[in-house]
Amino acid sequence: MAPAERCPLCRQTFFCGRGHVYSRKHRRQLKEALERLLPQVEAARKAIRAAQVERYVPEHERRCWCLCCGCEVRKHLSHGNLTVLHGGLLEHLASPEHKKATNRFWWENKAEFQMKEKFLISPQDYARFKKSMVKGLDSYEEKEDEVIKEMAAQIREVEHSRQELVRSVLEPQAVPDPEEGSSALGSWKGTNSQAASTSQQPSYLDLQPAPELDWMETGQPLTFIGHQDAPGVGNIHSGAIPPWMVQEEEHSSGNQQIGPSHEEFLKEKEKQKLKKLPPDRVGANFDHDSSTSVGWLPSFGRVWNNGRRWQSRHQFKTEAAARNKQSHKEKKPKVS
Amino acid sequence: MSFLLPKLTSKKEVDHAIKSTAEKVLVLRFGRDEDPVCLQLDDILSKTSSDLSKMSAIYLVDVDRTPVYTQYFDISYIPSTVFFFNGQHMKVDYGSPDHTKFVGSFKTKQDFIDLVEVIYRGAMRGKLIVQSPIDPKNIPKYDLLYQDI
Repeated sequence: MAPAERCPLCRQTFFCGRGHVYSRKHRRQLKEALERLLPQVEAARKAIRAAQVERYVPEHERRCWCLCCGCEVRKHLSHGNLTVLHGGLLEHLASPEHKKATNRFWWENKAEFQMKEKFLISPQDYARFKKSMVKGLDSYEEKEDEVIKEMAAQIREVEHSRQELVRSVLEPQAVPDPEEGSSALGSWKGTNSQAASTSQQPSYLDLQPAPELDWMETGQPLTFIGHQDAPGVGNIHSGAIPPWMVQEEEHSSGNQQIGPSHEEFLKEKEKQKLKKLPPDRVGANFDHDSSTSVGWLPSFGRVWNNGRRWQSRHQFKTEAAARNKQSHKEKKPKVS
Repeated sequence: MSFLLPKLTSKKEVDHAIKSTAEKVLVLRFGRDEDPVCLQLDDILSKTSSDLSKMSAIYLVDVDRTPVYTQYFDISYIPSTVFFFNGQHMKVDYGSPDHTKFVGSFKTKQDFIDLVEVIYRGAMRGKLIVQSPIDPKNIPKYDLLYQDI
């Protein structure tokens, strides 16, 4: 029995000595291994003619197992941002160590002689590959430049169109305040309607945008109907009697019917609803039936007051008292 | 749009409206039917009137026909909107100098709806003056002309 030896290809220990290499199992393993390696080498060989340069991607870190040397080899050659496809493998295949290792491998495993050539790259081939690599690099740079130029042109175009938009909107404006206009535009109508109107008819921008811009500033100016001052007669701000509280003649229609009329019935129904309303709302204790005197309604005006209603009410009461006292004095001078 | 809303043409009618509108906010728009800003406001009022029908009653008043009220409320700019509840005039702080009425038109229907709701809620709680919920940006600005100043 031969001493135990380990066959790295079969990954097994065998005791047959040199005879193992010729066994069926070994041959099968060999065939499969070579079949695995062949496509990689072929791809690398193709790259000799037309070297491809690409932007670096983490995928380019992949490694390939070289059967002959028994080591891992970087498949693609990358430097900085760029990668040359299959560059690494080619470099390894062209190296003399690999040649030596291939020869040994072939001798040891008794593989087919013709196959050997396929797995080797001659130095001339490698030189050719280097030339095509340089060419590839140049063309890649050109392509990149083109892309960048295209993007710049696009950006320029967009910017230009935006400028046009702003300009065309600002020009026919009546209000000479472009900042105000553009900011008001931005905050109000969505750019949709503006863009639509301006893109369709840039030359004639209606009054539509203009009044909207003026909305809060000058109003589509409110119609002024004159100072409402009739001297002597008070108004709400001076605390005069509201016109609806002024007693006027009431015309009663003579509809003498006995019992509640239809309207009164409806009113009763309304009153039922009233019970559900909050009891402390404004006017809850509004006595609809009683006739109201002149000084009843506590509407004091006092618009220009800051402060609580209580204060304006207090003021009103003191003034009312003073007024009454005065009129009292005038009417009935005290006879002492 | 103004033909969709009821109109009051005399002082008596306005009196009657104020006294008889019960448990609802009474909205009186003082202005003229042909005025452009009034038309805008009338549009908003008519479109919202049905939604607010349970909370408010809206009427249009022509300022030329009711000089008494025009003079009492000191209406110098039209349209002006005055609010009442149960016969009591409701004041609203809009951020403008005059709390007794709303001058101008509303920017959106929602503004008007919010305002009526705030007035209604305030009135239900017994408040005679409420704070307007409308964004001050959307309140029309006008110059209050003081007399002799």
